[in-house]
Amino acid sequence: MTNSLLFGISIFVYFFSMVLYVSYLAFRSETLGKICTLALLAGVIIETAAILLRWYESYQMGIGRAPLTNLYESLVFFALTIAIIYLVMERKFGIKTAGAFVTPFPFIIMAYASLNPNEIQPLVPALQSNWLISHVVTCFVGYAAFAVSFGVSVLYLFKVNAENRSLKQAGAFSGHLPSSDLLDEVGYKTIAIGFPLLTIGIITGAFWANVAWGTYWSWDPKETWSLIVWFIYAAYLHARITRGWRGKKAAALSIVGFMATIFCYLGVNLILSGLHSYGGTT
Amino acid sequence: MSEEIKQEKKGRDSIDKVWDFFTSLKLLIFLLLVLSLLSVAGTIIEQNKPLPEYYNLFRPETVELFSKLGLLDMYHSWWFTSCLALLALNIIACTMERYPFILRGMKSQQVVLDEKLEAGLANLAKMKYNLPAETVEKQVKAIAGKDFTGRPVVTEEEHARHFFYEKGKYSRLSFFLTHLSVIVIFIGAITGSLIGFKGYVNINEGEMISSVQTRKGETRTLGFSVKCNSFSVDFYDTGAPKDYRSDLAIIKDGKEAIRKTIRVNDPLSYEGITFYQSSYGGFPDVTFEIRDRNGVSRGTVFAPFGKQVDIPGGIVRIEVADYQEHFHRPDGSEGGPAIGVNIYSAGAPPEGIWIVGTQPGLNRDGTHSFVVKDMKIKRYTGLQVNKDPGVWIVWTGCVMLVAGIMMAFFMAHKKLWIRIGKDKKGRVEVTTGGTTNKNKQAFSSEMERLVRSLREISEEVS
Repeated sequence: MTNSLLFGISIFVYFFSMVLYVSYLAFRSETLGKICTLALLAGVIIETAAILLRWYESYQMGIGRAPLTNLYESLVFFALTIAIIYLVMERKFGIKTAGAFVTPFPFIIMAYASLNPNEIQPLVPALQSNWLISHVVTCFVGYAAFAVSFGVSVLYLFKVNAENRSLKQAGAFSGHLPSSDLLDEVGYKTIAIGFPLLTIGIITGAFWANVAWGTYWSWDPKETWSLIVWFIYAAYLHARITRGWRGKKAAALSIVGFMATIFCYLGVNLILSGLHSYGGTT
Repeated sequence: MSEEIKQEKKGRDSIDKVWDFFTSLKLLIFLLLVLSLLSVAGTIIEQNKPLPEYYNLFRPETVELFSKLGLLDMYHSWWFTSCLALLALNIIACTMERYPFILRGMKSQQVVLDEKLEAGLANLAKMKYNLPAETVEKQVKAIAGKDFTGRPVVTEEEHARHFFYEKGKYSRLSFFLTHLSVIVIFIGAITGSLIGFKGYVNINEGEMISSVQTRKGETRTLGFSVKCNSFSVDFYDTGAPKDYRSDLAIIKDGKEAIRKTIRVNDPLSYEGITFYQSSYGGFPDVTFEIRDRNGVSRGTVFAPFGKQVDIPGGIVRIEVADYQEHFHRPDGSEGGPAIGVNIYSAGAPPEGIWIVGTQPGLNRDGTHSFVVKDMKIKRYTGLQVNKDPGVWIVWTGCVMLVAGIMMAFFMAHKKLWIRIGKDKKGRVEVTTGGTTNKNKQAFSSEMERLVRSLREISEEVS
């Protein structure tokens, strides 16, 4: 059993859970709903096992490091955290129909990850630090929370538009989606999880940079983009808390925020160069 | 209205306008947007590169324009700094505007559940019991005490006793923590850039330095010396560096003050100055065998790095001028270590050749060939040297920021009023109500749970 085999299985399980969630949207049987959640949970368990196995294998190879150090590893971790945060939200708010809009993420991300080189590479000296785990984990759980907020916000806009278009037919399809108020609330709650984590992620990164390079902030593209993302969600929170921005405006801002997050994560690594270049494909 | 008062009012109006401008959410959103867009520009145009690289990328006019606008070092330009300053003013103004309200929210507490308060409470419930008042009170206090651990404020009235519980009062301070933390971080950053410096220095193995080159191009004396006792580097099987470290000693007034092996991610600090392992390199002292056109040996010569030496039987002088650990041949193949040699012949322009690996190097005319007989590499360690007295201020700000955000999102100021009185029939009547400043939905269900357990007392006992 190798980590890549387990990762391969988890891609299939994620794919099936996505198909199940989409069919749940159509059939909405309670049993099917339970199977959906179990399938996604199975994906999470298998993928967690794969990550732990990869960690263990790195020790066997004499490299010994947390599997959080290149594009492939960050992608699989990102997929895992999205699935976990969605499961928590589903349990807490009972938004099972939103699953069809969120579960494609883990599948697509895992599929994209499988296109990237996945050998276990040794670590360059700069990455050999205890700060690695706390920095990467906080950042990526934050990103994943923003991803869930994005999925829910898209669903919110979809639902509100459908309601406006045909008030009479609203009951047909979108009526079975979670209420727009609930979607709005979940969209906010997930940002309320992601924002503190992103903040901690940026700060641990700054602290680490200060230990490794002697500067806590050097306006490197990754740092700058993470700050841009932070600004966008800070604006969202201020607008929501002090001006009561809700609904469409809030959903739109959440979508913009996630676009910036994705650029911060992938765009910077793949297009721009800088201190985080080890996150890139080469 | 007299002229004077009018004037004063006018003055106050414009001050109000300025004040409103600085405290407005619009300014904040606008600044966040502008700072974001400018930062995007700064990541597209790479910052602080050597000037020739810009000339390779853009047309000369464009480079000059960018340079004039400060776009090549934009995060330190006057306009970017001004935006940050405006952001700081905006935050300070908002804090000043809000603090009286926040303090009032914490201080003035109504501790009695009267009719007026009752009318305004959303989570109001009334329960009646056929039990003695003392028993009910005891049970009510036990149940309320589960959620609200603090001691209640008790007010005795003629017909009723009032209990006021509150929790998370200080979470209202999260506003100050989050907003002032940004100012604290700014102060830390300014302190660092005013009093601190960033520099670098290379130290040869076995040698000592007492000054460093700052990034601004100045030489800065340290007030002590740093000696590099030794330097070593390990590689993975792939050839990538695994670990590099320098054994450093700080020498103050002729005595060794500290000795430490530093590596990447593990620097050395002394008197507020920190030394970070940043790079390394080496240069060789080489012993060459010199051969003539026919391959006959003319003898050997020792050439220390950077020194011109005469070669046996010749009008020619050579100098070891460069060294590469991994030499790439013009065709891209890896040639191993290579020595760059300058050859000075009388009556001819100097020429430079690379002697790669064990291959002998030939000069231009082929009159001399050079074979490396022995090579001692003198390694040097490359250190980043920093002094940043503001860094602890920045970390203080960061801790404040995280604490503030956690308090803001996960704590709320909750208040609970309980009145124990009698109804018209003389039964014990308990009235409860509560408010919170955040997450009202969750609080409502908390209150429902509380009321449910309060109702259960009556059923069980009666």
